[in-house]
Amino acid sequence: LLFAMGLGTTITFASSHWLLAWMGLEINTLAILPLMCQSHHPRAVEATIKYFLTQATAAAMLLFASITNAWITGQWNLEFMSYSLPTTLVTVALALKIGLAPLHAWMPEVLQGLDLTTGLILSTWQKLAPFCLLLQINPSNTSLLLILGLASTLVGGWGGLNQNQLRKILAYSSIAHLGWMILVLQFFPSLTLLTLLMYFVMTFSLFISFKVNNSTTINSLSMSWSKTPIISSMVPFILLSLGGLPPLSGFLPKWLILQELTKQSLAPLATLAALSALLSLYFYLRISYAMTLTMSPNTLLNALPWRLPSNQHTLPLAITT
Amino acid sequence: MSLPKISRVPASRLLSAVHDPRWPLRSAAPLAVPKRALTQSGYRRPGQPREDKPPWQRIKFDFSKGLEGITKHFKLLRQEFSDRLVGPEGKPIIEHMLEQNRVIWEFRGPDSLQEWTLSSDREIGGQSEIHLKLGKNNETCFLYGTLQSAPPRDGETRYSGYCSMRSKQPLVSFDRKKHHDWSSFNTLHLRIRGDGRPWMVNIAAESYFTHQKDDLYSYFLYTRGGPYWQDVKIPFSKFFLTHRGRIQDNQHPLWLDKVNTIGFTLGDKADGPFQLEIDFIGVCKDYAHTEDFAYEVYKRNPEV
Repeated sequence: LLFAMGLGTTITFASSHWLLAWMGLEINTLAILPLMCQSHHPRAVEATIKYFLTQATAAAMLLFASITNAWITGQWNLEFMSYSLPTTLVTVALALKIGLAPLHAWMPEVLQGLDLTTGLILSTWQKLAPFCLLLQINPSNTSLLLILGLASTLVGGWGGLNQNQLRKILAYSSIAHLGWMILVLQFFPSLTLLTLLMYFVMTFSLFISFKVNNSTTINSLSMSWSKTPIISSMVPFILLSLGGLPPLSGFLPKWLILQELTKQSLAPLATLAALSALLSLYFYLRISYAMTLTMSPNTLLNALPWRLPSNQHTLPLAITT
Repeated sequence: MSLPKISRVPASRLLSAVHDPRWPLRSAAPLAVPKRALTQSGYRRPGQPREDKPPWQRIKFDFSKGLEGITKHFKLLRQEFSDRLVGPEGKPIIEHMLEQNRVIWEFRGPDSLQEWTLSSDREIGGQSEIHLKLGKNNETCFLYGTLQSAPPRDGETRYSGYCSMRSKQPLVSFDRKKHHDWSSFNTLHLRIRGDGRPWMVNIAAESYFTHQKDDLYSYFLYTRGGPYWQDVKIPFSKFFLTHRGRIQDNQHPLWLDKVNTIGFTLGDKADGPFQLEIDFIGVCKDYAHTEDFAYEVYKRNPEV
């Protein structure tokens, strides 16, 4: 199954023909579905079905757009999409695939229904293939991407504010970060890649630290100071880095994106995006407050951790820019 | 019932229908069709009086009530917005983090009884009764009634005799469903005074598929019967999955982040009066309880 997922992403990466790219995306979706269903809980099945439906819709839209493009221009090559309608449709389809606002509604529910490892795979690996397609097409509709990006950052910030389920918070943070990535896609694609990479590293370490604590709510996180004090001290750094605070490495992509946006004379957009980053920072701070800055009076544990996977991904985060 | 009458009418007129097929049918049709249309439009809860008015006469338009409804919903919406500014579920995060016990249902006034729905055997034609009132000094709720396990005479029900009380689905503004989020707790705490009968506690969680709408997670509640109050603590890991009363083979633990309703059912086959007094229903966090789920999740004898 994992091999199939790797295969799917690789096919999409290596493809220059639309059909092959679509096939890669489909293989990706289908391969992850049994992984999501593994726990046999009806909530997991619900998450799987929701994920499947959204991804299938997106793939169908993608296929439709590529066929339209082939109909109009007569060629299937990925890089040469020149008409606005197929390009727009492809962008919207890929936005649905990765969970950008306003097509984000499935993300929190789906992540909530899954266990932490599968959720990790969903929010990191599954974003690679659609991004590679997004990078290769030439967007003719610049404002669409900007609107998607800005809406995602705002929604990601506001939506995550009142959650106490960690997986939903991570879903909203994923939406916000993807918004940042999309904002700069048409101006400086390598910044998108940089943001993606940073986001991967940070989310990976977050998921792993939550898995070690075996916690899915903020409350159960508050016990972690007695279980693994090292993780409790590192997680605020990770979270603040996700929020984009200066000395941590998460600030780097945000800063460069803002710089790029101002160079393109989109200063109000940059301001709005920065303000919405503040919103998401609030709930990152809240998690770190619950986890590290308060010592809960009760020392009995919810569940004892039984495995300690390698946490070396936390190291890059402590490195300053 | 009008239904058997309709089925009987063509049979008696069948002989005359042989000679003149159109006329009897035409005269039978206006008699049969309106009655059938009226009783088959929507669900009528058994025990409620039947209304034989056509739909256009059943409209009750009241402007002031409509306005009241709209203002109520907008107030709830505004409350929701301001709650969101405070923190999750309207409480600041520090309170949410430190919460270890929460009383969900308390019976301190007549409004608290509005949150509960009673149902009994009577709906399918049996003779059990159930009533709910406030106990002494408006401090508790008093559930009482009579259980009769005589099955209704409809030819298909074999066993009968049940009474139950179920909480109503909590609603937010504009009648949207709200779920109880009990993910920071792991035990159900009840303070009850029963009469020695065994009750069942049923918790209904939010389900996505239609075939799961009757999924309930149940556990037993054995009451003592004495004049003394009984504190019952049931961990949520002990609740097993049932569907329409039948215990399922594939069990899974109850997820506490979307709980809809809780209910109490009496179904022991002892006819006679019963009573149950509930002081409060709350949830608490038992730190010493580390069990995830009390029952096997995997198949004991898997097919190879």
